[in-house]
Amino acid sequence: MRAIKGVLLTCDPAVKQILLSMNERSHFIIEDLDDFHLVIKADEEYRIRRELETELEKNTYSLEARTE
Amino acid sequence: MRRHCTAFSEPPESVSSLQTSTSCRCKSPQFMSSKRPSEAATPTFPAKRFRKNQEDDIDINNEDDVIPPSPPDTSLVPRAATINFSALTRKLAEAKRTHDQDDDVPVHKRQQDALISHIFMDQDFSWLHLKPDHASRPIWISPEDGHIILEAFSPIAEQAQDFLTAISEPVSRPAFIHEYKLTSYSLYAAVSVGLQTEDIIEVLNRLSKVPVPESIISFIRERTLSYGKVKLVLKHNKYFVESSHPETLQFLLKDRVIREARLVTMQTDNSIKAATFTTSKAPVKGNLVIPGTKEPDKRKDEQNGKTGANPSDADMFTSVVGVESDEVDEDDENVHSFEINDTMIDDVKKRCNELEYPMLEEYDFRNDTINANLDIDLKPATIIRPYQETSLSKMFGNGRARSGIIVLPCGAGKTLVGITAACTIKKSCLVLCTSSVSVMQWKQQFMMWSNITDRQIAVFTADQKEKFAGESGIVVSTYSMVANTHNRSHESKKMMEFLTSREWGFILLDEVHVVPAAMFRRVVTTIKAHSKLGLTATLVREDDKIADLNYMIGPKLYEANWMDLAAKGHIANVQCAEVWCPMTPEFYREYLREQSRKRMLLYCMNPNKFQACQFLIKYHEDRGDKVIVFSDNVFALEAYAKKLQKLFIHGAVGQVERMRILARFQHDPKVNTIFLSKVGDTSIDLPEATCLIQISSHFGSRRQEAQRLGRILRAKRRNDEGFNAFFYSLVSKDTQEMYYSTKRQQFLIDQGYAFKVITHLDGLQNLPELVYKSRNEQLELLSSVLLANESEAELGSDIRAGEGDLAGTVTSKDFGPTKFPGAQRTTGSLSALSGGQHMSYVEQNKSANKKLAREAAPRHKLFAKREKDKAAARKEARGSAV
Repeated sequence: MRAIKGVLLTCDPAVKQILLSMNERSHFIIEDLDDFHLVIKADEEYRIRRELETELEKNTYSLEARTE
Repeated sequence: MRRHCTAFSEPPESVSSLQTSTSCRCKSPQFMSSKRPSEAATPTFPAKRFRKNQEDDIDINNEDDVIPPSPPDTSLVPRAATINFSALTRKLAEAKRTHDQDDDVPVHKRQQDALISHIFMDQDFSWLHLKPDHASRPIWISPEDGHIILEAFSPIAEQAQDFLTAISEPVSRPAFIHEYKLTSYSLYAAVSVGLQTEDIIEVLNRLSKVPVPESIISFIRERTLSYGKVKLVLKHNKYFVESSHPETLQFLLKDRVIREARLVTMQTDNSIKAATFTTSKAPVKGNLVIPGTKEPDKRKDEQNGKTGANPSDADMFTSVVGVESDEVDEDDENVHSFEINDTMIDDVKKRCNELEYPMLEEYDFRNDTINANLDIDLKPATIIRPYQETSLSKMFGNGRARSGIIVLPCGAGKTLVGITAACTIKKSCLVLCTSSVSVMQWKQQFMMWSNITDRQIAVFTADQKEKFAGESGIVVSTYSMVANTHNRSHESKKMMEFLTSREWGFILLDEVHVVPAAMFRRVVTTIKAHSKLGLTATLVREDDKIADLNYMIGPKLYEANWMDLAAKGHIANVQCAEVWCPMTPEFYREYLREQSRKRMLLYCMNPNKFQACQFLIKYHEDRGDKVIVFSDNVFALEAYAKKLQKLFIHGAVGQVERMRILARFQHDPKVNTIFLSKVGDTSIDLPEATCLIQISSHFGSRRQEAQRLGRILRAKRRNDEGFNAFFYSLVSKDTQEMYYSTKRQQFLIDQGYAFKVITHLDGLQNLPELVYKSRNEQLELLSSVLLANESEAELGSDIRAGEGDLAGTVTSKDFGPTKFPGAQRTTGSLSALSGGQHMSYVEQNKSANKKLAREAAPRHKLFAKREKDKAAARKEARGSAV
């Protein structure tokens, strides 16, 4: 019997899709529950959150970007 | 607002609430009594921040000599007095009591400084002293870059705004805080409309919360004093640099660029003054001294020609401009000039700007006897609006035509401003616009507003090359026709000779912001015009070439405030909204996988967007709005229009069908929605609409956004009470579209528009006949999108620029000659294809366009005959003219 420590993530469908595509690169999803819920490996949580943040930030327009 | 200012500590709501400031003041004595000794004892610690409770802490002595209007501490201003008096006594009493607690507050304050100051880094201006009555003053000036922040909610904001638009350029004007910027050009413009240096400084000081920084004062002095000393004059088809100060000319000639541009041929004999100057180059300097030289910027304030009269009246100017005549005398007395090569004119202008001797270009058209007058006037029924008049009065402020740029929102009557200017100058006039469609529009507008006859106005495009009859007239053309240097037909060559050989009184440049600098330079150097007027709605460029316009045309003469015009009912009130449509999981998965341009197709075709679009159309049709839906992507456009059973126009829709669709949209109460591709941006004259929905657009183009908004600004119903036009952008969430959408909005936000974000449309799910409701339908849609070619994702692929249209204004790319769609080949048995194997054809999603009656009513004989006669008459007239 092997136990993996997991974290339940609640997210919207779009974020779930991003996570799924990230999962293709490095596996971290333990269970895909439904459109809004995922169980992921607990020790990956921090990294996943950070990567997700940068991914979402790509679509944000900021004034700093304009001045550059 | 891009900048933070800590000196700007007053929160907006406390300006009028006296209560808060009184209670604050009770605490301040501790600080007051403590600060003075601490300052004396430890000079290393300057009190860094001044909050409103420390108003009276400012060292008044220092400040007094800088700002005359601020009252001394003892005689308090009425407003402050009411607060202070009771507080002051209490304060003094308290100060004695709390004498020993002195040190607490500075320590506390120092900590606060340490906590906050670093946020602002080098933009921490808390060392600027606030004036004691700063609360009632509306502006703050950054000592470093000349940015001015205005509290638009201040009771005197309106006056301050008038002043600030005259001396600086608006950067951003949302509802409460405005930002302006002092630039050399804006100051030149201010001086050229007659403001004086000392007045500018004085008024700024009066309005400012802090004494006007030394750096800004010297900046203003420097820029305004050198202005107007040098003039560029066109005489007998040659350019001269003219000045009443020979030292200035000599200074300019020391510059290499200018010296090289100088023509030393002694052709200048017809002007005695020019000869004087050339002799003055000789060692004998005796005759250089000019008596009674007057600074041109000491001109009277002549800008406010706000009489009700029509500016085309020359009388108006003479009445407004009292001093004008003696100024002319002065010019005639002592003017020195040298001729310059006209191909170098641009470099010289640029160089002069760099040397801070910007050249003034004014045209004294009423005293010009060399060029023939053009008999043109506005029709008596033509009425121009107050802001159009203001903008023109800036141009003709001193009875002469000044070159420059006028910025008015789309739909606010730019054309009429241009026509009125032409009617005022009454000389030959060249109008340049971006495409051949707008050439025809300009001509038609000229005929509509003025009494010009068909014979006097000519068109020069790829298809039509006309000359006007008589000595003077108007030519309408496109930039590229005039700037094109190669591959000219014989006819256009002859036409160009005609254009370049003569002197133009006036050149009108439409949509100046889109013209590439190089092309512009060619136009400006080949065509000799006395005065230039640029018109635009959006003085923004995606590249930063905007400064070039300043020396090629002239300063910005006038920029209208969109919000002001809307408030006065000249343009419609618009509610802007961004509708966020979440991507469905299936579409988003594909979106994430796809790296190519097809991504764009995926976020355009998002089923949730489809539904939102359907819902909004339904909602607004029920309200009685006329709706235009814009999509740059043709694939999406067709899919939407067919699915929702609406009429659509894109590049492949024929001319006849277009006219029929537009007529239906305008007159048929059953047709309230049309779908338009990019052709709607420029190539067709659009009817009025009151609601606009964008489903796909050209990336982050701020100009397109403003242009599209312009489509609903001229709505006729705008003056009905409570009338609002609506502007929606449908955006797929979590995609690049979010980024572009925000970027596109920047220009409108700077004009004061606020975009609401709608994340959920109420009642969407209950809409009957909602499209793509089931997952299966959505998947079907997805597969059709995935099957589409990558080329379908192109934007604006349906339209092609005609010859003579400015590249990039009609299409984002030039697609060259029309391509025919490739033939489709399939294999199959003859019997199967003819239906022998139970095969049947069903057309789904039939285009609503096809349901239109094929036949339009034939033209009545009467009109057909009339038209024929007219054409014959025109031909005859032309024949006799040539």
